[in-house]
Amino acid sequence: MPKERVFKIISQLMNVPLDQVHEHSSPETIAKWDSFQHMNLILALEEEFNIKFGDEEIMQMGNAGVIVKSLQSKGVRD
Amino acid sequence: MFKMAYAEIHDILNRAKLDQLPKLDISILRNVVVEGMIPYLKFLAYEMGFRAEIRMGDYDNIVQESLAGGSGIVKKDTDCILIFSKIDGLSWSLARNFASLEKEEIQNQILNIHKTITNVLGGIRNQTNGMILWCGFELPLYPSLGIGDGQIASGQSEIIAELNNFLRSSLRNIPNAYYVDLNLCLARVGGRAFYDERYWHIGRAPYSREGLAEIASEAFKYIRAGKGKNKKCLVLDCDNVLWGGIIGEDGLSGIKLSKVYPGSPYTEFQQEVLNLYSRGIILALCSKNNDKDVWEVFRTHPDMVLKENHIAAAEINWEDKATNLKKIAINLNIGLESMVFIDDSEFEVNLVRDAIPEITVIHLPKDKSVEYRNILASCGLFDTLALSAEDRERGDMYRLEALRKKMQNEAPDLETYLRSLEMVVELNLVDDYTLPRVAQLTQKTNQFNLTTRRYSEADIRAFMQAEEVDVLTLRLSDKFGDSGLVGVCILKRSKQTALIDTLLLSCRVLGRGVEDVFIAQALKLARQRKCESVIAEYYQTAKNEQVKNFYPRRGFESIPRSSDKEGWRYCISLSGPLMEEPSYFKEIRSFLNE
Repeated sequence: MPKERVFKIISQLMNVPLDQVHEHSSPETIAKWDSFQHMNLILALEEEFNIKFGDEEIMQMGNAGVIVKSLQSKGVRD
Repeated sequence: MFKMAYAEIHDILNRAKLDQLPKLDISILRNVVVEGMIPYLKFLAYEMGFRAEIRMGDYDNIVQESLAGGSGIVKKDTDCILIFSKIDGLSWSLARNFASLEKEEIQNQILNIHKTITNVLGGIRNQTNGMILWCGFELPLYPSLGIGDGQIASGQSEIIAELNNFLRSSLRNIPNAYYVDLNLCLARVGGRAFYDERYWHIGRAPYSREGLAEIASEAFKYIRAGKGKNKKCLVLDCDNVLWGGIIGEDGLSGIKLSKVYPGSPYTEFQQEVLNLYSRGIILALCSKNNDKDVWEVFRTHPDMVLKENHIAAAEINWEDKATNLKKIAINLNIGLESMVFIDDSEFEVNLVRDAIPEITVIHLPKDKSVEYRNILASCGLFDTLALSAEDRERGDMYRLEALRKKMQNEAPDLETYLRSLEMVVELNLVDDYTLPRVAQLTQKTNQFNLTTRRYSEADIRAFMQAEEVDVLTLRLSDKFGDSGLVGVCILKRSKQTALIDTLLLSCRVLGRGVEDVFIAQALKLARQRKCESVIAEYYQTAKNEQVKNFYPRRGFESIPRSSDKEGWRYCISLSGPLMEEPSYFKEIRSFLNE
């Protein structure tokens, strides 16, 4: 599941403990997750999964759960 | 360049105990969003042993931030001001609307940019002398006039190149200000990978992660050099580094080393090493081999680019490399933290990393010899902000000093050793050509300097023209090379008495008995000038303790002092036989003997 890998990267980029990251984690729940850090998160995810998101996808990635779904829709299975 | 993933860099920084490290203040003035670069900059600073404090200027506020009264991110103690002034933000029309511009408009835009550059540089320098790193303007990947751009005078690419020339020369006129060539970064990464159009449109962030990493690395080459953390010595493994294969097994004709494949990656790598040597980097070898085998390659293989005389020190034996690297550091008298070690073996690389963390280690993967040259050339660890003539000769001077040291260890006694150096000294009176060097030596010499009188070039010229003053110079060379003009003696006459006003030797030639030739020659000159006695002085400083007893040891008699505050004075008569010159010099060439 890409979920664990996404959560881990969010925890690294936002500097929060892994067990505090869940599907509803978002800029509203994590202080460091601002628009700049969102951009850095996308860059890190693209590197980790070796994929590219479209510009509209990036704008819709409002929380961790959406990111995971978006990866799955690109065929990322694990 | 960055072996770790972006997320991993964040992770390392999160865990690092940064607050114990010294601070490195970096302020970024910009008209684009480059926040993605912050982790890279922090990581590079961390690798260098610093905690980067990065302050971002307000978006598109380069001029305002540069002036006093901006948001205050440019301060007196800011270490580095990094500037991103993308042409698209400075002049949209030059960047994107060039095809429809009239000549006059182009000129206006250019002048505006010139003015901005001048204002910003002036504004920053009014506030701080910190390092300024200004990223140049990127050339368009697709010029507005297409292929026609290159065919007309003052096309878009040419105009932007000229703006870069203006920026470059403006920076050159200001101390501690440097041009960072973004076009080099762009070319290395490749235009399509350098930019990220999505984030350009979403948030005015033009550069991709790769682009940001490349720019950060490039900027840090300057910062590293500015902090004096650039490396000074490269220690090379031999087998599968300087040549392919193992000399002990494959033999001279079996190793891969030639102008054509599969030997060409190694000759190209060696050429890159030689370039470092020419820039003043000290080269050394650390290899598990029979040393005879290695030197045979250096001496006889026709495709060796590196020669024996490029290598300042070598430990070629079967001991562990950590021990050998420490020996090399002692032998060359340099710090471990200024050394870089290159090896193809993962085992050796890890061993050295563990045993001597101060040494920077570069691993060359055995199956990637074609990349060796680029791995070395891209590291930037040896870069300096400017190249002096002395840098270019340094490699050789260290090699010669190491050779002398080695001989000294092998020679049975000092005199045999000195004789084996085949030293030639040359004594002359100062002339127009040697005058600047003579003044420089009186300014700089501390250890072997009896009176430590500092003289300007004008002073020395006045001595040169004075009837009663002689300025003697001494040059030294030996079988290893020429040390140049290394000694000065100034003799002032008054009636039948001569005073040794100055006697000094550069610290480069101490311990070789040169002083005994010098003093003997000085006395000889005094006698030729019809003097009957010579007065000599010693003034104590914090650094010249070693010559305290120089005159008494050579038969000069002490003259009583009236108070402790004076220097010591000595006298020697010239009526008897004069001091003899030491016999271990191969030749003493003197204007007095002619």
